[in-house]
Amino acid sequence: MKILVYGCIIAALVAVHTTVLSYVSVWDVTPDVGLVAVCFIGLLAGELEGLVVGLLLGWAMSLFSATDLAASMVAKGTVGFLAGLAGRQMAQVTPLVLVSGLVVASILSNVITLWSLKPNDQQDLWWAFRTIVMPQACFDAVVGGLCYWLIWSRLNFDRLAEGQEF
Amino acid sequence: MRMANFRSSYGARRLALGVLLAVLLGFFLLPQQLQSLFQEIGGPVGWVLSWPIRLVASVQGGVGDTWHRYVALQDIEEENRQLRKELELLQGQNSQLREAASATERLTALLEFKAQAAPAMVAAQVIGRDTGNWYRTILLNKGSADGIQPDMGVVTSAGVVGRVVKTTMATAVVLLVSDPNNAIAGLIQRTRDEGIVEGTTPGMARLKYIPLLSNVRTGDRVVTSGLVGGFPRGLALGTITTIGKEEGELFQSAELRLEVDVNRVEEVLVIQSPYVPGEDGMSDGPLPKAKP
Repeated sequence: MKILVYGCIIAALVAVHTTVLSYVSVWDVTPDVGLVAVCFIGLLAGELEGLVVGLLLGWAMSLFSATDLAASMVAKGTVGFLAGLAGRQMAQVTPLVLVSGLVVASILSNVITLWSLKPNDQQDLWWAFRTIVMPQACFDAVVGGLCYWLIWSRLNFDRLAEGQEF
Repeated sequence: MRMANFRSSYGARRLALGVLLAVLLGFFLLPQQLQSLFQEIGGPVGWVLSWPIRLVASVQGGVGDTWHRYVALQDIEEENRQLRKELELLQGQNSQLREAASATERLTALLEFKAQAAPAMVAAQVIGRDTGNWYRTILLNKGSADGIQPDMGVVTSAGVVGRVVKTTMATAVVLLVSDPNNAIAGLIQRTRDEGIVEGTTPGMARLKYIPLLSNVRTGDRVVTSGLVGGFPRGLALGTITTIGKEEGELFQSAELRLEVDVNRVEEVLVIQSPYVPGEDGMSDGPLPKAKP
């Protein structure tokens, strides 16, 4: 069942990324909703699930992008794994910690991608940080914060989860 | 948000670490082999994943159509008037071009030149954009099962769109001509000077390596030279807007306004073979095929 759920999440995220997200770009930068999802999965379900979903999502997304396959897999997988590790160290995640964590995760993911690129004379490190890495990190943090607010504040996820346990 | 993570066992953590290290080690030691393996497996996976993409793209197309046909009709009268004027102008140009074409035909026959081959093409629809922010690409609804392969050229009736860089069974990723990582051999139509057209970071294009002695000027049209890559000679790339000539440089460069608005393109043609070998194996023969 879990495999089916994760499969559907991956298919939905890839479809959203390729079709809808270009309409919500700011300064030609779109948020990486896949990265935010992998972070949440890592935090809630642990390192193994974060890593496996991250690797598979990175692979699936690279099939529909010019991005290097290895970089995409390693970036998302590492973020899922680290989110799982971070989730084990704390009992509760506050919005501030979540948003800061997403900024760091997004920067880490983009640095791994940047490392695999073969930039030409127009694309230097400063250009990459100024136009893609930092704006996307801010964008990812905003999307993650919104998801947190929507799921845990409006839908009261914790109470629903507790209710199911009893 | 409460963490449900305390349940994860020590074994699962060790397994996760092991998998991560194995993946990292694998990509360091056997990068090419692993990439080809994942790309190979990715063919059918891409076919499966292309269905939700097509579904969302068709819903999105439907919403867009409704908007354009019924809601966004405010300036349509003015636009219609302008288009009529443009049509009249183009009709005039068309008759001139017909005249020129018939003269060219006569001269070509006279010189016993063989007519350049019409390339074999496949029509495809744009169903998406790049999943990341690092490249400017579009996603097509046709892939390796339709005979599309990496390095094939992609065009519209207006001009060049880009080059195929990756395929799955049912989709193809096209690197746009405005991407800085794309390079296409170009030719200034008036002066016949050759150069390389590459994208720029703001999403435009520039022509590099124009000889210093070239008398290129703004407004000159740039077309594909047909020397390398998946494009035949003479496809429109863009028009020169500014020329950069710096002291001490060996070449000039020029900014281009692209012929195709690559951000709004919806249907394209993929050039499967720009040249068709004739009897001598070198020359071209006519093969006008555009599969639906």
